[in-house]
Amino acid sequence: MSIIVFLVITLFIAFIQTVIPYLVKRTVVFGVTIPDQYTQNPTIKAYKKRYSISVALLSGIIIGGYIIWAFTNERLEEQVAIAGTIIEFAIIFISVSWYFYYHGKTKQLKSKNKWVENLKQVKVTDLSVRSQDEMLPWYIYLMPILITIGFMLYTIINYELLPDQIPTHWGPSGEPDAFTEKTPFSSIQLTLLLLVMQLMFLGIHIATKNSGIKLSATGLQSSRNRQLSLRKYSSWFMLFVVLVITMLMGYFQLTTIHPNIASDYAMAALPLFFLAIVLIGTLIFGLKVGRSDKEIEILEDEKIMDIDEDKYWKGGMFYFNKNDPSIFVEKRFGVGWTINFANPIGYIIVLVPLIIIIVISIL
Amino acid sequence: MIIQIDTESDIPIYTQLTNQIIEGIARGDIQPGHSLPSVRAFAADLGVNMHTVNKSYHELEKKGVIKIVPKSGAMISPIDNINNETKQRIISELKPHLAEALVLGMGKEEIKSLINTIIGEMKER
Repeated sequence: MSIIVFLVITLFIAFIQTVIPYLVKRTVVFGVTIPDQYTQNPTIKAYKKRYSISVALLSGIIIGGYIIWAFTNERLEEQVAIAGTIIEFAIIFISVSWYFYYHGKTKQLKSKNKWVENLKQVKVTDLSVRSQDEMLPWYIYLMPILITIGFMLYTIINYELLPDQIPTHWGPSGEPDAFTEKTPFSSIQLTLLLLVMQLMFLGIHIATKNSGIKLSATGLQSSRNRQLSLRKYSSWFMLFVVLVITMLMGYFQLTTIHPNIASDYAMAALPLFFLAIVLIGTLIFGLKVGRSDKEIEILEDEKIMDIDEDKYWKGGMFYFNKNDPSIFVEKRFGVGWTINFANPIGYIIVLVPLIIIIVISIL
Repeated sequence: MIIQIDTESDIPIYTQLTNQIIEGIARGDIQPGHSLPSVRAFAADLGVNMHTVNKSYHELEKKGVIKIVPKSGAMISPIDNINNETKQRIISELKPHLAEALVLGMGKEEIKSLINTIIGEMKER
């Protein structure tokens, strides 16, 4: 059973890592700003192709080796899990290494050919773009939050019914395998964690909404498409994940109060189902946003480019720009968001809830 | 309306913002009564410091082009009859430019037709 889970996740990681160069923003190649005039350069295209082939081939060999290893002998579940985790990290490590290799090559190519020297760097925005933003409103998060508070109240009302040992951890089969002494705090611990997590997602949602809608001067329409779909679909996807987690945790909480409603089948299937829909959701999100800006427009002004932001991107991956009030910005290698490390609010939104979650779990 | 900032220009960014917004109103791209984006959103979308946008909004307010209403943002003011004081300010700002054009070799007729062309791009009030 667990081999299938690991294979699916690993194949998923390998696939995403392979196609990333074709899903990122058109004017960013391996974390390097390339003016729109040169994005179709044959060397650039060759780099992308070579990266993808290398990652796909190496991942294929690793996954193939894993399958052969797992099926030639009887392996313990733990061995399969440990090996599975190792190969997942190996694939990530390999693709990151290739990324850095081609990041360096692209940077060299750009400076050797003096691609930015003769172009005027501009910044551009549309005063009406905000009115086209289709992110969900923040108050939609009140729905899962209220559900969680409902679970909390329900637990407190039914405190008598709770067993003396409260489950705190569930094994892969959905059976609880770690317990704690029953106290008023431990009885609502799970719902408290859920609430903090929901508040974190709400914080991320609001911060994302306040972050910039970055348009490109050389591709106004395609950059608008991409930014608006990134915002819209990431807000849908985040809410979807929150709702699914709420259902999952809510179900666990209810089975603790009423053990007779727990079915072994549901307990085992739910986490797998959760994993499957999150993976599918990620895939749809990545492809949908990744393909939203690939239609090439006619350049109206050949002499301009978007501001070269390479100096704000450390290693092409970490954004550090004091002048940008955005808390989150679009990733340079991948589909999604990354934090503006120069803005302390970003750390607060992500770190404080994580610390609270850790504190609640070890209390 | 598209705002495009030249990052290498000698003209400060806040002045470029001010000028483009005024031109946008004159062309009819933004109408009186409509509001400009919030300082935070504008600065984030453009990737500039909030102070820059703030400075431009205050300059626009001082000129009487927009009105900053607390809580609801910056609204484009209706086009009113110009008062004498403002007229004097515009004349004194325009004069050096016209003089410079003459001194650098532009003919009077050329300047007149240039002014006509520029005004032609703007909307009649």
